[in-house]
Amino acid sequence: MYIELKNVNKKYGDFKASDNVSFSIEKGKLIGLLGPSGSGKTTILRMIAGLEKPDSGQIIIDGKVVNDVPASKRGIGFVFQSYALFRYMTVFENVAFGLRVQKADKKTIAPRVRELIKLVGLEGFEDRYPSQLSGGQRQRVAFARALAPNPQVLLLDEPFAAIDAKVRQELRSWLKEMIAKLGVTSIFVTHDQDEAIEVADEIIVTNSGRIEQAGTPIDVYQNPKTAFTSAFFGQTAQLESYEAFKSFQEVGDYDKAIVRPEFIKITKKNEVQKYKSSAVEGIVERVEFRGNYIEFTVKCNGSVFTARRELDQEPVSVGEVVDVFIYRIFVTKGNEVRLVENSALREESVVI
Amino acid sequence: MAQSTRGQVVSREGTGQIHENTRGSKAVKLLLIGISVVFLVIMLVLPLITVITESLKKGFAEYAASVTDEDTKSAVQLTLQATVFAVVINTVFGLCAAWAVTRFHFRGKKLLVTLIDLPVTVSPIIAGLIYVLTFGRQSAIFPFLEEHGLEVVYAVPGIILATVFVTFPFISRELIPVLETIGTDEEEAAAMMGAGGFTIFRKITFPHIRWALLYGVVLCAARAMGEFGAVSVLSGHLRGKTVTLPLHVEILFGDNKFMPAFAVSSILVVFAVIILIVRSVVEYIGRVKKNVH
Repeated sequence: MYIELKNVNKKYGDFKASDNVSFSIEKGKLIGLLGPSGSGKTTILRMIAGLEKPDSGQIIIDGKVVNDVPASKRGIGFVFQSYALFRYMTVFENVAFGLRVQKADKKTIAPRVRELIKLVGLEGFEDRYPSQLSGGQRQRVAFARALAPNPQVLLLDEPFAAIDAKVRQELRSWLKEMIAKLGVTSIFVTHDQDEAIEVADEIIVTNSGRIEQAGTPIDVYQNPKTAFTSAFFGQTAQLESYEAFKSFQEVGDYDKAIVRPEFIKITKKNEVQKYKSSAVEGIVERVEFRGNYIEFTVKCNGSVFTARRELDQEPVSVGEVVDVFIYRIFVTKGNEVRLVENSALREESVVI
Repeated sequence: MAQSTRGQVVSREGTGQIHENTRGSKAVKLLLIGISVVFLVIMLVLPLITVITESLKKGFAEYAASVTDEDTKSAVQLTLQATVFAVVINTVFGLCAAWAVTRFHFRGKKLLVTLIDLPVTVSPIIAGLIYVLTFGRQSAIFPFLEEHGLEVVYAVPGIILATVFVTFPFISRELIPVLETIGTDEEEAAAMMGAGGFTIFRKITFPHIRWALLYGVVLCAARAMGEFGAVSVLSGHLRGKTVTLPLHVEILFGDNKFMPAFAVSSILVVFAVIILIVRSVVEYIGRVKKNVH
């Protein structure tokens, strides 16, 4: 394990920003620290960087406890949320800064800076000031600047937050490619689940200062291990009582029943459907066009949840009575979560 | 669609309001400009003209004589000396205080900020009296000062002290808002890359505060040169020794030497004009630079 946190705690006054945080990261991986605002993800990043000191616990990088190693000696590149480019320096000087303060050989600085500027595709912008660049270009400069001193670890704080949607999409894939090419162990912080799922090799989910779950994007999305994770990913809704929906087996005592849009099949009354006998009726409350699909909310058995239909399917309208079939449900009890499948699905497979 | 229509309606209403306002505004505009001009003429231009004409009333030779008089020369020297000390000390103090207030969290920070403003709110005379009480004969530390041959009250150090006191908010007051706006991101980024404290200040922070600092220095210098109250209390009016330009003007005036009094005043006017020019240039360059970055 390349980076390890062992029982790290950090308090700001009475606020527990990190509550017994432990996780480990393999060398060369791109990790997404994902959680809602105030869940302590940035604190973790800043502690790894050395910008904050943990109250207790160990931070280990490359087998060495670095708690008492100052930020500048940890060999870490940091990309700030605001980029924190030096406004009074040109792009070239920004990228060269780290090399200059580390007293690198003067002859090697210029070629290295040019190499990085080329890498991030900003040739010809060397003499511009940050204010003369677009958001995406600034981010590339911040990236090049963090990489210039050849760090072993790259940390990025909400790297796409300040960029408009279109450019963000491009930058995500660009960053993922770039980091894979360089093989530098990287951690980025984000509150955007789509971003984490798309970019990260592994996701670490944080909530109220604790680590909820860690794993590959597929793993954390498909197999949530805690009540928080099951409700966090996807556009989830809570059902008043899942027993009201047909053909679910009893699970005994539970706290919450959670569904995602992809767990639900909505069928119009005039359409043919496979699980007619296990479906219940619901009323469409709101319909929204979302570009490549239609999203709508349905009220059914006292619960309101979100479902989707494709554009080529016959449209549904507000107030329409539809059939609702639920494939599966996350059921939580305490912090435990289990996936309950509709037994109609199993019967089907038995028949075949 | 709905949104854009709403936007148009709003903007039409908006322009309508402006039109209505502008209809009656021509008279208001002239009135306001008129009041400002009349006020400035009465309060500033007339006295300035008086100073110049009065000082040149008896011809240029007399004027030159009063300006190059030994006492005047010594007053100019002392004024400049006090100003230089005030600027240097307050630059150092201002940087330290602004840095401390904007970069650290500590108890009593609010108190410190309030105290920095104290000289603006306290009458300079009172400031002078405080120093007389602190360093004068009745003070507890006077024997110590006497033993070491340190004269403060009725001596040059007292004048410098008073000048420093009345001018000390100027530089830190200019720096604090600038340091607050730029935040600590750039400094942290530089620190992460291994830059030391001084390098960070020199390469990252200083370019941001350069113009604010210079502006503060200009204001500080202007105030230091004109300081009368606190200096008057501490000076003891020893001619050729502890008399600054404003005090010298007062003494001459008190002796009914009007022409020399005005002549010496004109020196202060010249200083003021120089400072005004420097200030405008600094403001202009600062603005241009800000637009670039």
